[in-house]
Amino acid sequence: MKSFAYATALSTDSARQLVADHGAYLAGGNDLLGLLKDYLISGPNILVNVKSLPGLNQIERGDKSWTIGALVTVAELERDPDIAKVFPGLHEAAMEIASPQIRNVATVGGNLAQHSRCWYFRQRDVSCLKKGGNLCYAREGDNRYHSLFSGNDCISPVVSSLGTTLAALDATAIVLRDGKETRLSMAELYRKAWTEPTAHHSLNPGDLILRVEIPTARTASAYLQVSDKHTFDWALVSCAAAANIAGGKLNQPRVALGSISPVPHQVEAANAFLDGKTLDDDIVSQAADLILKDARPLAHNAYKVPMAHALVRRTLLKLKS
Amino acid sequence: MSSWPAETKYISHPTLRVDAVPKVTGRARYSSDTQANGWLYGMILRSKWPAAKILSVNLDKARQIPGIKAAVVARDGTFTVRFYGEEIAAVAGSTRQACLDALRAIEVKAEPRNEFAVNENEARKDDAPRVWEGRSNVAPGRSREHGNVDQAFGECAAIIEGFYTTPVQIHNPMETHGNTVSWTDEGVTAWSSTQGISSVRDGLAGALQLDQSKVRVITDFMGGGFGAKFGAGAEGALAAQLSREAKAPVRLMLTRFDQALAVGNRPSSFQRIKIGAKADGTLHAFEAENYGTAGIGAGADSGGGGGGADIPMPYLYPVPNSRVKQSHVAINAGSARAFRAPGNPPASYGMESAMDDLAVKLGMDPLEFRLKNDPNEVRQREYAIGAEKFDWKAKYQKPGSSSGPVKTGIGCAGAAWPAGGPSRSTQGEAQINPDGSVEFRLGVQDIGTGTKTVIAVVAAEMLGLKPEQITVKVGDTNFPPGPGSGGSTTCASVSPTVYDICQRGLQQLQKQTGIADARGKNWLAACKKLGVTPLVVHGNWIEGLSNRPAYGVQFAEVAVDTETGLVTVKKVVAVHDCGLIIDTLTLESQINGGVIMGMGYALYEERVMDDLSGVVLNPNFETYKLPGIADVPEIEIVLLNMPERGVIGIGEPATVPTAAAIGNAVANAIGVRVGSLPITPSKVLAALGKVPPAAIT
Repeated sequence: MKSFAYATALSTDSARQLVADHGAYLAGGNDLLGLLKDYLISGPNILVNVKSLPGLNQIERGDKSWTIGALVTVAELERDPDIAKVFPGLHEAAMEIASPQIRNVATVGGNLAQHSRCWYFRQRDVSCLKKGGNLCYAREGDNRYHSLFSGNDCISPVVSSLGTTLAALDATAIVLRDGKETRLSMAELYRKAWTEPTAHHSLNPGDLILRVEIPTARTASAYLQVSDKHTFDWALVSCAAAANIAGGKLNQPRVALGSISPVPHQVEAANAFLDGKTLDDDIVSQAADLILKDARPLAHNAYKVPMAHALVRRTLLKLKS
Repeated sequence: MSSWPAETKYISHPTLRVDAVPKVTGRARYSSDTQANGWLYGMILRSKWPAAKILSVNLDKARQIPGIKAAVVARDGTFTVRFYGEEIAAVAGSTRQACLDALRAIEVKAEPRNEFAVNENEARKDDAPRVWEGRSNVAPGRSREHGNVDQAFGECAAIIEGFYTTPVQIHNPMETHGNTVSWTDEGVTAWSSTQGISSVRDGLAGALQLDQSKVRVITDFMGGGFGAKFGAGAEGALAAQLSREAKAPVRLMLTRFDQALAVGNRPSSFQRIKIGAKADGTLHAFEAENYGTAGIGAGADSGGGGGGADIPMPYLYPVPNSRVKQSHVAINAGSARAFRAPGNPPASYGMESAMDDLAVKLGMDPLEFRLKNDPNEVRQREYAIGAEKFDWKAKYQKPGSSSGPVKTGIGCAGAAWPAGGPSRSTQGEAQINPDGSVEFRLGVQDIGTGTKTVIAVVAAEMLGLKPEQITVKVGDTNFPPGPGSGGSTTCASVSPTVYDICQRGLQQLQKQTGIADARGKNWLAACKKLGVTPLVVHGNWIEGLSNRPAYGVQFAEVAVDTETGLVTVKKVVAVHDCGLIIDTLTLESQINGGVIMGMGYALYEERVMDDLSGVVLNPNFETYKLPGIADVPEIEIVLLNMPERGVIGIGEPATVPTAAAIGNAVANAIGVRVGSLPITPSKVLAALGKVPPAAIT
């Protein structure tokens, strides 16, 4: 890797100052070290260790919402018995992430901000659109792991399963930006990746995710993914759903899918359709139709359409249990 | 003629590996752990082009990087590279980072060729870019014909035609390829991760133009090879050159990335099979055309042979009328090397798939169909045993007939490994000390299969001692020469050799001490009578104690989610024979490993090349997928001990039929054939007709 300076920040303000224009925050480091070792990103000139920032490793349990610090590890999410009760979908998503060793150090903030896993992007000798090159190799090449939807020429999908699940839970990311705390919905957190090939989220250089806030309004949530393998593998498609269920009827339902779009794939028309409905095979199938209506499958990823359809149906039906 | 004892205390019983404790505690020092005095890191610069003319390689800036002690080019002058990852230069330095910086400082002037072929089906076309100038990518095919095939198909009651494909598979042993090499005025010492210390010694001596007596190769512990680690390789020769220039030992271990590009793989296969049977289920006619790629060449540097793309056809089952045509296709990718049972797993997948497809057409139970057509008595016995353990009769349902979206299915397949058998030139020695301790020294290496333990078990049995009383030293070319660890030959080579050493040792003890039977309780007294001089005895492989080939059958049960395409292997029953079993524990490990590797071949593994850039897209374990522990099913092993046959190796047959059995179980579950490995969710959904067409862009 290229040489860089290293500093440990003890306050968010000093972290921001240290990282300046060309630095990177270091928390779990899983993604960052991979990028550095394969020379995939220019810079950074400094790594700012944020693991000692006070207060960011807490889970706060409120009545209307919970806040989860950006430094909370995925393993802590997975093991917290209250999360499994209040946000079962989040618990399920955490369980599916990578391996136990990685979950022990991976953080919520790092999972949300992680870079593309596209195998052209990750290939050190391919200069693709996402790396600032001229061409998306995946469009004409082997796009088996790529998006069914994209607002730009890059078809690298979002792979943060926490981002997908938090989108279904209508969570908000609180981001330190220009010295202020800025609130971003999950849609906003990823929006830039929809239109800009080199982006994988909407964070500006120096922005720091502090925590996420999850409303408790939806008491039912679920997460499912399918991978080639049974564990320690990226989702081919992932799906999260959340809602209130009163008298058997869905209230404020939200569905989000991962690995099929540069952003957590959410279709408001489907959420609206589901609102007030009673879950059954027919309803969930219609919802899945709405969610996948505009899919643009490529030469090698069309299998994701029936897979996503099945996952939407199953995830929604799982809300009942 | 010699024979094994009828009653045994250790042979055919479970014995813990003699090196189990150092292995699990980390005290075992593998080749990649070698820390020779003053050692340097070595690294290789590889071609980033799939095809290019290298005009010049300037190492000046690399040499100026602090910590860099040597830099060498892979070849002098102008040269051509023909695949992504081919060696261009190498550096040695005192830190990894210095080497990484130096690799980036090397200036390579190259004329990249814009035209190349990294995909078999593109490379086969008449107008495809040539991998080798002036030579067609498609090697002249070989054809064989027996009987009258065209007429025979006319006599068949049922005929199926299928297209079965298998991918390029990468060996990916736990320890990557590499060596620490020290080249001084006295000669070369190499601590190698190899399955053939002798072939590495001879290869290095040849490459460096040294006497073989000036090269010593040491392999105390190594982490697997699967056929790709017989030679010193380009990385070994480069490490030696770096060492000479730096005047220090150089440890040059490949990275996982390097491993995916340049040190071997299993060739792909594209098998078009037509097969027919008579109404009673007797196979009658067979026609096949197969092509595959072994990369830029066929089996370069395989040492153990068998790196080519040809496969045995028709596999296992004799068909009176058959026509087979095979050819290799060159592509711009790293060469194949021998890979655990070369040719057999792809042949098994193609033939056993066709067998099941034909059984379905005939309306026969696929197991009955096999029993009818397999003339091998051992497999007949194994099918009978396995079917009962597996409860085949109760579990078998018509294809696709289980209810619900998650469908279960079962399948089976047979194995053969005709090429096994001993290496007859194997030698070894034992030093019997006056204090009763005894050390066996054989110039073989333990590739991880338990060769050291085999030596200890046989010696303990023959001398009436316990395995832990036997000191075993292997992995040094200073010891009497032994075979490479490949082709399922090691156990059958080593066991009779140790037997012979023991017999000679006992004879000599009797002669020197007058004690008629020095075994067991007399051992210490006999040894004491040696006085102050240890007894050293030399032995050779001898006739009558080993054999070939081994067979085997496997049964698999799967669950297939027909909505997501995910395949879960629930259970595998593996019934295997290898003549006289030496150690049941290491044998079961071999079979477990074979099944898991076969499962990876069935469901996950595939080298993916990119047509446009010519690179390998998955040179890592993130996207080159291997089975994890959660993917591994219950594996039930049934061993057939056949002492009357002598010792036979098991490494290859254990992995041969797994993919075919799983593929057949998937077809039985979903009622349609996925004719291509690996059987991914994507392919399952496609076979079920659930995948929509691509959008027109």
